[in-house]
Amino acid sequence: MVALPGENTPPATSSYDDDGKPGFFARWFYSTNHKDIGTLYLIFAIISGLIGGFLSFMMRMELAQPGIDFFQNEHQYLVYVSMHGLIMIFFMVMPAVIGGFGNWFVPIMIGAPDMAFPRMNNLSFWLLPTALICLLISFVVPGNANGNGFGGSWVMYPPLSTTGHPGPAFDFIIIGLLAAGFSSIFGAINFITTILNMRAPGMTMHKMPLFAWSVLVTAFLLLLALPVLAASLFMLFTDRIPGGTGFFDPARGGDPQMFQHLFWFFGHPEVYIMILPAFGIVSHIVSTFSKKPIFGYLGMAYAMVAIGVVGFVVWAHHMYTVGMDVNLKAYFLAATLVIAVPTGVKIFSWLATMWGGSIRYSIPMQWALAFIFLFVVGGVTGVMLANAGVDAYLHDTYYVVAHFHYVLSMGAVFGIFAGFYYWFGKMFGVQYNKWLAGAHFWLFFVGVNVIFFPQHFLGLNGMPRRYVDYPEEFAIWNQVSSMGAWITLAGVAFFFLMLIEALILNRKRVGDNYWGEGATTLEWTLSSPPPYHQFNTLPRIEETDGH
Amino acid sequence: MAGHAVEHDYHLIPPSPWPLLSGIAALIWGFGMVVFFAGLQPRTGESPMMEWFFSKGLDSLQDSYRPVADKVGADGGWFFLVAGSIFAAYVMWSWWKDVAAESRAGDHTPVVDIGLRYGMIMFIMQEAMFFVGWFWMFFELGLFHKMRAGWDTAILENAPAYADSMAPGIHAINPWNLPLMNTVVLLLSGTTVTWAHHALIHNDRKGAKWGLGLTVLLGVFFTFLQGVEYLEAFHGRAEGEPWLSTDAYGSAFFMATGFHGLHVLIGTIFLAVMYLRLMKGGLRPEKHFGLEAAAWYWHFVDVVWLFLFAFVYIIFGYSLHG
Amino acid sequence: MRSKNTVIALIVAVVLAVISYMILAFVGLSGERGEGMPVIGGFYLQEAETPVMEELTKVYNLVTYIIAGIVAFVLGLMAFIMIRFREKANPVPSKTTHHVGLEIAWTIAPVLILLWIAVPSMNLLYNQDVIKDTEVTVKAVGNTWNWSYTYPDHENVEEIISNPLDKTQSKAAGKPYLLATDAALVVPVDTNVKVLVTSINNMHSWTVPSFGIKMDAVPGIINETWFRAKREGTFYGQCSEICGIKHYYMPIEVQVVSKADYAKWIANDGSFTTTVAQNNLGSGQTAAQK
Repeated sequence: MVALPGENTPPATSSYDDDGKPGFFARWFYSTNHKDIGTLYLIFAIISGLIGGFLSFMMRMELAQPGIDFFQNEHQYLVYVSMHGLIMIFFMVMPAVIGGFGNWFVPIMIGAPDMAFPRMNNLSFWLLPTALICLLISFVVPGNANGNGFGGSWVMYPPLSTTGHPGPAFDFIIIGLLAAGFSSIFGAINFITTILNMRAPGMTMHKMPLFAWSVLVTAFLLLLALPVLAASLFMLFTDRIPGGTGFFDPARGGDPQMFQHLFWFFGHPEVYIMILPAFGIVSHIVSTFSKKPIFGYLGMAYAMVAIGVVGFVVWAHHMYTVGMDVNLKAYFLAATLVIAVPTGVKIFSWLATMWGGSIRYSIPMQWALAFIFLFVVGGVTGVMLANAGVDAYLHDTYYVVAHFHYVLSMGAVFGIFAGFYYWFGKMFGVQYNKWLAGAHFWLFFVGVNVIFFPQHFLGLNGMPRRYVDYPEEFAIWNQVSSMGAWITLAGVAFFFLMLIEALILNRKRVGDNYWGEGATTLEWTLSSPPPYHQFNTLPRIEETDGH
Repeated sequence: MAGHAVEHDYHLIPPSPWPLLSGIAALIWGFGMVVFFAGLQPRTGESPMMEWFFSKGLDSLQDSYRPVADKVGADGGWFFLVAGSIFAAYVMWSWWKDVAAESRAGDHTPVVDIGLRYGMIMFIMQEAMFFVGWFWMFFELGLFHKMRAGWDTAILENAPAYADSMAPGIHAINPWNLPLMNTVVLLLSGTTVTWAHHALIHNDRKGAKWGLGLTVLLGVFFTFLQGVEYLEAFHGRAEGEPWLSTDAYGSAFFMATGFHGLHVLIGTIFLAVMYLRLMKGGLRPEKHFGLEAAAWYWHFVDVVWLFLFAFVYIIFGYSLHG
Repeated sequence: MRSKNTVIALIVAVVLAVISYMILAFVGLSGERGEGMPVIGGFYLQEAETPVMEELTKVYNLVTYIIAGIVAFVLGLMAFIMIRFREKANPVPSKTTHHVGLEIAWTIAPVLILLWIAVPSMNLLYNQDVIKDTEVTVKAVGNTWNWSYTYPDHENVEEIISNPLDKTQSKAAGKPYLLATDAALVVPVDTNVKVLVTSINNMHSWTVPSFGIKMDAVPGIINETWFRAKREGTFYGQCSEICGIKHYYMPIEVQVVSKADYAKWIANDGSFTTTVAQNNLGSGQTAAQK
């Protein structure tokens, strides 16, 4: 592999250590610094990722062969399924991409010294441990007569989540999700204000880096979708109180299907909330390592806006089988297919950015290329699932599981790792070990594909989701899938080895712009890591013919 | 970079304990919510840790499985709810005291002021989406109940209950009685808050105090009227029927108006704090975003009420009683 | 040097694209098809037993051809770019950031492809969803955790409670575990059957993959779907909406019999007196007879 420029050169100025950081406790617990809060978010995401990953590993072990071997009973398996979904979405992906990278790099990229509301920024973070504690408590309090914890899957459909789980376990989840929701709403307000109000002189909206664009769109999605989730969670909460409301109780005129509408009105924007920041990160990486500016910048930015807008009007494609009117299904079918168009624009623009470039295959670029390809794989199965007719066969089968893990476990997560390696030196001042990072990439890449590609076959063969035990016809591909879990586990181990090596053993500082000429955004003009407060003199973005 | 003088107008804030304490307060309060409403009865032999924590002696352990408290509040939770609320109130008070002090110290430069405005607009947008959720639920239950109930009712055991909800036979509150009064009160308070704002801009502090004071009083009066209305609805219920547990209409009605009432309460407190600041000599004619934010919020609450009044009270009142 | 690079890249890209297309199309469009139930290690749809499932298979095949093509195309393009424009082969990057024609093209092309998909897909949707004139109506109710079936038009047939067979029972009966039940839903062949699906507490979903139908059972709501089985036999499905701990343990078994047998079955208050009964070891019996 080519030596990275800057890897072996001493940093230009070591301005990091003399800028009046507060003491340890005040710095990390009372923080009002966007970079420190970003680091906290990343640590939090790694911890949650470990918990969520452990849950999924146990699920894979259970499913490795027919029969119920690992879990005490079926309820415990369903608890693991539900908590895996909730923790990975709300406490791993969202804190990593929005809280972590968004906090770290959005202010720097737009040339701002900090977020608009630094204190509220920290409130967004500290609500998350509160939320996670609530979710963890729910593991050990009664869910229903079958055991502790909530086993109604992350979609929380009533009546399974109301009369089906009368114990306090689900109430804790509601409270936790409300806390996480408010955390994200405050974060969204903060990002929108920062991006609209604090861009450096000369940085017009149409010159703003694509990652900032992606976070802006994401923040609007959060702002408009999460309150609806909050309302539906309150409805669940009061429905569960003995003698409470009857929103979802058919015996009192309520409508259990209505929860699905409310939930997916939030839930579909939510999947774009998880993937759009990854789009932004990948755009920067592709441009940097091709040493070329983004191809079709405006198209890229407005494709994300289009995805965000259309994302609000397609929610019911998650519920084709609930017995909707056929014309309604036809509308949602058409609207869902439309999303493929802006997504295609993004894929082709990335490829066009690489075309004619001078491509270097560093670790972040490997993750980004894998992201692009695997996202295409996950995206096209989405086209399949959009067909309401075919969905009658595939709905709630493992085909769906494979689809959304291709776009999330390989899309969003690969985007997170790509960004993590891309900005690693910038955030921590030291570079990762290339060999360990490479091992992490290849093991993870092979592992997740071995886990999830066979799940397409399981779905086509007819295996439904959320099954603790299955007919032995499904055994072969489940076994293969579970082997992939071991490979992925090895990849995760290398990730932690890499972290330990880089952060504890390796004290060699990297330079300001260690990726060289392709890296053009503002974070590369700062030292690595950046000073505690950057841009005391605001940068001025020169008038260029631009994009 | 470091060591350079700060040459921008943005507001960098020193470390602050309030966010962390807010998180802790939220945890206590949330815990209280669950214990109060759902109870925390341990299940025998299942969660030793929780049993150790929450058992009230051996007797309760030997009970058969009891998933929820028999009655709201039976397992306590008062303590956590109250403690969490007081803690949260203290944190909020201190936090906003800091903000006000920073404002007086001149940290809120024009660009920061614009940022605060953006922030408030976004906050009101998300509040609007919150009510979109409640109205969506209300309209769905109200408009499509017959569609749901009409599907071959003969083979549905609960069909009658189903068809009757939100249909003739249930009580609705007469919109031209207390609700109309409430509408007038809120609209009036909208004008008084504008009066206060304009008076402040023209440096007529006495007028501003009057206007703001009246607005707060009208807000309190609204809450009082709403309380009276709830009490009447409570007493008007059938014997032995719980307060909220009527049917889908009752649920939508109480939760939508209840959350609106909560927002009125928040807005009243917001305005009252502004009134205190005004009395203490804060809020200058050229710079008083706190008051403006309170006024925006108040107008938002006003608009939500108009929607509630038009749809939940009038239209459904008519569709019910004809 | 540069042209040699291009040629190598092109060859690799084309070969990769073609091979991957063949593999994807093979994987997506062949493989043993389960007949009324999953097949060991299968990686394709179950055999179509109704006209709707036939059409569904066609739409599935069409979409698979297209999406496999897209994946192969992107893979080939990526391979070409990654070889041709690697740092060594192309040290000086171009600075092109715009090509209006190209950008329009890659917006229009997906639209056309989507239209190509949308037309048959809409046809399928309406054929599947609009209920034909049906001659037999059955009502499937999801309970926690089994299915019960009634025949609203035939009051003499008692409610069929369809419990799953446990491991030893299913082995004894020679039926697949977690798919077989002790009492199947009995319907006639070549007949439009309307299924009313509802639930008494949690949500469930009544699914028979080889019929191409899946309909959620929602408490308080009666959903309708229909099918027309082409041949006699036993067809299996599994609950497809999470409903609690026994979600995996409430299979669906449909036994399709000839019209004459069905008439006889109805006339006998829901039991076979012919040899079919011996062949099917108890399936079709009512709960009361057990």
